[in-house]
Amino acid sequence: MLETPGGQDYLVKVENVTAGYLSVTSFSSLTKTFTPVLRDINLSLRDGERVAVIGESGSGKTTLLKVILGLLKPVKGRVLIEGLDIYSSRKAWLRAVKKIGYVPQDPFKALDPRVKIKTSLMEPLETSRYSREEVNRLIKEAVKLVGLPEEVLEYYPSSLSGGMLQRVLIARALINRPKLFLLDEPTSSLDVSTQAQIINLINTIYHNYKMGILLVTHDLAVAQYLAERVIILREGRVIEEGFFEDVILNPRHEYTRLLVKSYMMEPI
Amino acid sequence: MVLAVESKGLSIGYLDEEDRVLWVVKNVDMQVREGEIYCLVGESGCGKTTLGSSIAGVLPPYSVTRGELIIYGRRVIKDDLRSYEGVRGKLTSYIPQNPGSSLSPYMRIWDQFWRVLREQGLNEKTAKERATAILKTLSLGQGVLEHYPHELSGGMLQRVAIGLSLATGAKVLVADEPTSSVDAHLKLQLMRLFKDVRDNYGVTIVLITHDILLAGKACDRVAVMYAGEIVEEGDSISVLTRPLHPYTKLLVDVVPLLGFKKTLASIPGEPPKPGLLREGCYFYERCPFRDEVCLNHVETQVIDGRRVKCWKPLVDKTTS
Repeated sequence: MLETPGGQDYLVKVENVTAGYLSVTSFSSLTKTFTPVLRDINLSLRDGERVAVIGESGSGKTTLLKVILGLLKPVKGRVLIEGLDIYSSRKAWLRAVKKIGYVPQDPFKALDPRVKIKTSLMEPLETSRYSREEVNRLIKEAVKLVGLPEEVLEYYPSSLSGGMLQRVLIARALINRPKLFLLDEPTSSLDVSTQAQIINLINTIYHNYKMGILLVTHDLAVAQYLAERVIILREGRVIEEGFFEDVILNPRHEYTRLLVKSYMMEPI
Repeated sequence: MVLAVESKGLSIGYLDEEDRVLWVVKNVDMQVREGEIYCLVGESGCGKTTLGSSIAGVLPPYSVTRGELIIYGRRVIKDDLRSYEGVRGKLTSYIPQNPGSSLSPYMRIWDQFWRVLREQGLNEKTAKERATAILKTLSLGQGVLEHYPHELSGGMLQRVAIGLSLATGAKVLVADEPTSSVDAHLKLQLMRLFKDVRDNYGVTIVLITHDILLAGKACDRVAVMYAGEIVEEGDSISVLTRPLHPYTKLLVDVVPLLGFKKTLASIPGEPPKPGLLREGCYFYERCPFRDEVCLNHVETQVIDGRRVKCWKPLVDKTTS
């Protein structure tokens, strides 16, 4: 595991986590078997650090996010957020989860189609005791921060484009000023021109707030813009990790080599 | 030079509920040469899939057409009239985006091949030989024939789908976003496969993609589409390295390149909704080089064998 010097205070620390899903293998006896998706994962992220988790489909990227969000209890290992084991008690989980801003994968499915953007943005503030004026001010600030006009608050998700929805989701994740930003494939369902806008936006926000970012993606080129450190996941195992430049210039694992090569510009 | 596909002023639109026409492809002049890999690049909603479907002959009945489309000398679209008899599935064939859901789940791969091959009057023995030979070029064993689609992996299904369209004997293959459901490290393999298929079978491939980098790597020529029009067309290397149209330039600039961390350009705004019709250049609002003139003047020019739809292309800036 890559240790960053002088840092005992990790924002996130994932220790020897093995996690997976139960599936019913025989319907007659209802036998359930455990299929591990993540095997012995170690990962740490300090305040303000940006880490990208790269992997192909089925490598366990999304499962890793679920484990960190407290939605899937690992069968082995611990997840610590600011030193607090999030699976130790419900109270600990609630305290930890408030520090996380999560941007889900598909902007077209992530917002409730029945309510206005305004209502969706208010939801994360419900648990905090804000007055109505404060709530209004906070959501207005949030949409401004992501470069959307105030009018979108009155719109329904169906009348916004993918790029705008992604901005709304980023605004929603930021509204509680999280210390950790979890991004699940933030640009994979967007066009290239919108993708560049979102990458630039996330970077601007990062430079203003310096929160920790854990990015999950299959796109190395996108990750290069959003993270300094990279973890390559394959079949639920960390096969390579390190600083971005080191990994792409000197890939040690065969898979990483193949992956890096597929981004090169040479004609085939 | 034989032209595999040629379009003259081709426009394609769709009827909405109120019987208005939404023009999705506008006035496209395109020439695809025999035996080349021709790439249609653009963002979602630019009309690339619609143009591709018109070549493959799979336009939905509620579509409206204007202009002409000629495939190997046969006119398949002449204004309202469409006639794909003897072309669809025989001269042209379609490789769907997601082969997992487009192959019949209840038929073994062999049965799917047999359905195609018996149409050509082959008996079962020769058909099997033919199918095996095709699969072999796609590096799949004969054993695959006995399997059902759900027993194969995504990459294998993709190759089966390519094999099936080769089995039709079609001379033009239209592949719609073949790499979008494929993992990054397999993309390269798949593109190499397309090249091999072209070399071995002499087919013409029309590749539809949003990945301009992929287009540059794997294709002979690219056509960049914006708002239903082809804004630039030319050989892939020069289009990518010396773009003439401002949109192409921005499209190249916004793509993140691994190992070369440039500042990502932001194209302000979003692509126009399909169906927008107006005078002048469609890229006007987002163009950093725009001019008053662009509002009502757009001109197609030919520079170094490349066609560009802009009255002041980026010639000086890119050559100096």
